Amino acid sequence: MNFFDLNAWLGVWPFRSLRDNTPQTLLARLQRAGIKAAAVSQIEAALHRNVQPANEKLAEAVEPFKKQLFPMATINPRFPGWEEHLRRCHEVLGMKGVRLFPVYHDFAADGIEARRVVGACAERGLIVVMPHRLEDARQRHWMDPGQTLDLNQVANLIEAVPGVTIAVTNARGIMGSALWQRQELRKKNWFFDLSLAEVHYVLHKDVNRMRELADFIDEGGADHLVFGTHTPFSYPSAARVKAAVLPVEPETLKKICWGRANQLMRLGMPE
Amino acid sequence: MVELDIEEWLRYPKIDMHCHVWNLANEKEEQVSSEQLILAGEMLGITEFWCSSPIIGGLIASVEAVREENDTILRAIKRHPQHIRGMCFVIPGHYQMALDEINRCLDSGMIGIKLYNQYRINDPAVFPVIELAIERKVPILEHAGYLHAREDLDSQPLISHGEHFAEVSARYPEAMLIHAHIGGGGDWEHTVSAMRHGSPNLYCDVSGSNLDDGQVEWAVAEMGAESVLFGTDGTMTGSVGKVIDATLTEEDKSLIFWKNAERILAAQGARPTQPREVVG
Repeated sequence: MNFFDLNAWLGVWPFRSLRDNTPQTLLARLQRAGIKAAAVSQIEAALHRNVQPANEKLAEAVEPFKKQLFPMATINPRFPGWEEHLRRCHEVLGMKGVRLFPVYHDFAADGIEARRVVGACAERGLIVVMPHRLEDARQRHWMDPGQTLDLNQVANLIEAVPGVTIAVTNARGIMGSALWQRQELRKKNWFFDLSLAEVHYVLHKDVNRMRELADFIDEGGADHLVFGTHTPFSYPSAARVKAAVLPVEPETLKKICWGRANQLMRLGMPE
Repeated sequence: MVELDIEEWLRYPKIDMHCHVWNLANEKEEQVSSEQLILAGEMLGITEFWCSSPIIGGLIASVEAVREENDTILRAIKRHPQHIRGMCFVIPGHYQMALDEINRCLDSGMIGIKLYNQYRINDPAVFPVIELAIERKVPILEHAGYLHAREDLDSQPLISHGEHFAEVSARYPEAMLIHAHIGGGGDWEHTVSAMRHGSPNLYCDVSGSNLDDGQVEWAVAEMGAESVLFGTDGTMTGSVGKVIDATLTEEDKSLIFWKNAERILAAQGARPTQPREVVG
């Protein structure tokens, strides 16, 4: 089984020293967990106003590893000239998707800035990835907003922008989220990764809600799952363990772990 | 770098020393819940769960309410003696009645004590509980974490953290004290480091939904592999994955997944419910 990680990172997180955050060390760490390739962006761009220098740095850093590490642009839709950043990242630097940080760049995920940038990504056929959280809010540094992405807003965004493809990474509470609960959105192109959600058991006093991904899959959610680890913030093998016990057929598992990201990012990699 | 064999590690035997079985609407629901817990554990090599049913939110509940929670655990043990073991929850401020409840539960087959956030572990109100734990040779697992955001502290003003555990460990070095879930929220680097000079009987468990890379190695570096326990607190795949992925020796992982819990059981003359060699 091949694994493609839609949720990996390079660079620096200011509040905790991360290991394996350079292209060489990240790749080695992922390969130790049996993961062949990954989509990456530069962590610190989430905290920069002008994100483009970080995007340029990312493109240069992954160039020697272009068959294994695929760069994703960070776009700040509140910064003047973001349209040019997007154009350059896509057309010149060859980036395969975009990551957005409503919490850190201070815009509503269903507001006008989000709709414009997501609409522009849809026109280019680029997937948009939004982390639900970068770090657990309960340990946040006082300089970190420490808020999670509002999934109601993400649901509104998906409804408002035709043709959008969105992946929410590092999330829990998938079954109860507006993306799943709003029935009219179930056929849309949105995805959750495996990095944080549990599979067959979570602590819950309602016996009908103690299986997380297993219930999600039972109700038809397997088409909305994609493999991701949140490395180097998190341990990559945690997602491998989730994949190992995911209650799906082998062909579906292959799609979740490799084929889906390959397709969403238009990578054309062999199965 | 050698690739990890995830499937093989899933078969590796594990004792989950921090989990819960809840007091639900009826016994049928309790049965469904504990059966799902066991099923999920079997896929991951977890052979036994040390379970409690604490009253949360800092609530100083009645003695009767506490007893009802513990009766839930006793029922679960009776249903699944091969898989579920009990940690007796008490509120130390009930004083003699808390001690009586501990003796009742231990005499009924439970193997440890669970404290939540009604009292910090270093509060003198807890000392009689610690002294009884020493006498009965059982561990105390207390809900803990180094929180610092105002809204978090407002909701749990008396939560314990590593500094409190270190203080009590110095006072009672023979007490088996377990700082719960270093991945359960809060600054895990801070709370673990505060315990680095604790007695050999001071432990932490790695459970919790926070899967930060380096967490397990940090606990081993600061406290020693003999002082780190495997638990899930319901984050089953995540907790298994973080120990598998940790850059530690196989012997260290063996201590975390099994041998440290086995040693805690041995102090009271107990053993794991299933021998390690027949698992998987």
